[in-house]
Amino acid sequence: MEWKEGHAKSITFIVTKDCQLVCKYCYLVGKNISERMSFETAKQAIDYILSNKDLYSESSVIWDFIGGEPFLEIDLIDKICDYIKIQLYEKQHHWFNSYRFSFSTNGINYHEEKVQNFIRKNHNHLSIGITIDGTQTKHDLNRIYKSGKGSYDDVARNIPLWLQQFPHGGTKVTISSPDIPYIKESVLHLYSLGIKEVNINCVFEDVWQENDDLLFEEQLIQLADVIIDSEYYKEYACSFFTEFIGKPMDKVRENQNWCGAGMMLAVDAAGMFYPCTRFVQYSLRNKKTAIIGNVHEGINQNLLRPYLTLNRCTQSLQECIECEVASGCAWCQGENYDAAETNTIYQRATAICKMHKARVRTNNYYWNKLYRKLELEGQRENFEKKETSVIC
Amino acid sequence: MLQYLVILLDDTSVSYCHYENPKKVKRLISLSDLKAGILFAMKQNLMIQFVYPDYEIPAEYQKEIETIDHHKIAPQKIQLKNADVVVFNSCKEFSTEKTEENKDKIFVLRANGKDVARNVSTFAHDGRLNIIITDIETFTENDFSLYKETLEQLKNTVKEIFLQENSPQVNLLTDRILLEKMNNCNAGIENITLAPNGKFYICPAFYLEDENDTVGNLTNCIDIKNKHLYKLSNAPICQKCDAYQCKRCVWLNRKTTREVNTPSHEQCVVAHLERNASRNLLLDLQQLGAWEDKSIKAIDYFDPFEVKDKF
Repeated sequence: MEWKEGHAKSITFIVTKDCQLVCKYCYLVGKNISERMSFETAKQAIDYILSNKDLYSESSVIWDFIGGEPFLEIDLIDKICDYIKIQLYEKQHHWFNSYRFSFSTNGINYHEEKVQNFIRKNHNHLSIGITIDGTQTKHDLNRIYKSGKGSYDDVARNIPLWLQQFPHGGTKVTISSPDIPYIKESVLHLYSLGIKEVNINCVFEDVWQENDDLLFEEQLIQLADVIIDSEYYKEYACSFFTEFIGKPMDKVRENQNWCGAGMMLAVDAAGMFYPCTRFVQYSLRNKKTAIIGNVHEGINQNLLRPYLTLNRCTQSLQECIECEVASGCAWCQGENYDAAETNTIYQRATAICKMHKARVRTNNYYWNKLYRKLELEGQRENFEKKETSVIC
Repeated sequence: MLQYLVILLDDTSVSYCHYENPKKVKRLISLSDLKAGILFAMKQNLMIQFVYPDYEIPAEYQKEIETIDHHKIAPQKIQLKNADVVVFNSCKEFSTEKTEENKDKIFVLRANGKDVARNVSTFAHDGRLNIIITDIETFTENDFSLYKETLEQLKNTVKEIFLQENSPQVNLLTDRILLEKMNNCNAGIENITLAPNGKFYICPAFYLEDENDTVGNLTNCIDIKNKHLYKLSNAPICQKCDAYQCKRCVWLNRKTTREVNTPSHEQCVVAHLERNASRNLLLDLQQLGAWEDKSIKAIDYFDPFEVKDKF
């Protein structure tokens, strides 16, 4: 479960745009080795944020570090985190002792001494996710070095150490068209490595081929059967199967935006502020970057207004508003912007539509099968109570 | 649906709204495009608004214009006798006009906030006056305070004219009293602009900012991408707002927030200062027995964005 259930402010430092890998599905189309954040820029960003408590009134904060690969800049990150801690204390800031440092890493240099020292130093305030896509075949299909070599072996060797330090660590799996045949075996492989929480999602980009939805459905049905028949559901989670998706949504009561762009804040090496990292130029294929301020002049609040007033209906097609399986159908504001016909964040990209519908069908199958099994075993009531307590 | 076609007769046609026209080189619309524009309007059942430059246009153009029902928007400088809308580009220009002789015309006064503040006492016009504040996007807290005082003075002037048993209309104060729902510019929805290059634009400002920002031409007609974003129903802040007199300028919105459906903080505060001044005028007039059937409720905010979670 996400720390503070998503109510914390998320502030992202793009410390480098370099990475050891060139993953085929990576949305970062403009990675490079030259844009590295300086400590001075990070310091200016922190000073601005901590000096404007009225703009950042959330009770908690997640300081997120991404790249490229963030651990390539572990010395800088260590210095930044020390500065944050000192400033929170000196300013008697309300985030003091209510903060997290968060990392999504490819895991390749997780074992290195500097990284491990950093982990020991900040362990109680850390969230670290290592991205591993599943079986070696599936992982190495996409997550490759610049030489073309797969990275599975270099990541998998660090998984035991990571799980020892973060036993509840979850991983994020991204599905694109070529990955579909490997979904079932990949999730089961991750379970076998001891990873109990697999967060998995289809990319939002328009990459889907004809019949991908049917292949996807077939994979998920097979996965559902194994999870239920082998009773993985008792200890393991796969985010594909969530009971509360695939329902119609009320236009008034359920009109919230899905994405947190604008509620979040990202800063890059040049000291520019963005509504999230997906609006940085290296993430955009078709559109110009959407800068909303900089560390010297602060945030232009007018440029934030569209993000903070976005809701589901104003950016959706009538077909989406009236969709009978609308709930759980996600979108990424950055992809919406990048794919839109005009320079707007108010045009919802719908490339994921058929994949969501396939997911809903298998999700219905999963819960119907699971509940029938539990009913026959006399376990349904206990299970429902447990599920409800988790949700609340 | 579309109701109006704005035809800019020349690149130097007068601005009658928030935008500035920086073009100095004359470029008259071709006669063939003018004819095609008129034919388009006739087929689409659109009322045409011809926007004039500050020089006399050729006789064959004048003849063509008179072939269809229309409105003429012209700069004060050319003293076009049969203009429906006369545009003044400063308070100084406005002060020299013999307004009594032109009570049937709509006057548009374009001026910045400070110019209006300095000259508001001279605005005693018993007719329709549209005041366009041209520097809203740069307003600071001090400018808001000054504008509030300006509107208070304007309110007293309007009240005085009412007391003389006249019926002045000043967009900033009387429109909100008379309106019961939003009455925005609606560029892209109710009106569209044909520029001198023979192409369609959302409004003249879009043309003057970038000629490539076109939404069609006379051959292939109009194709507005994301057209729904110009509608009130797709404007999250504005759809809940009751500053009905606000023009909700989509060009200014895009300039300040990058989205045509989202107004800036400055736009919202200015519109609410006008709304509240309208309410004060209404309360004053109701004490005199006028407009007793109208009401504008008291509110405790100037920018709906700040109370968006309560909507």
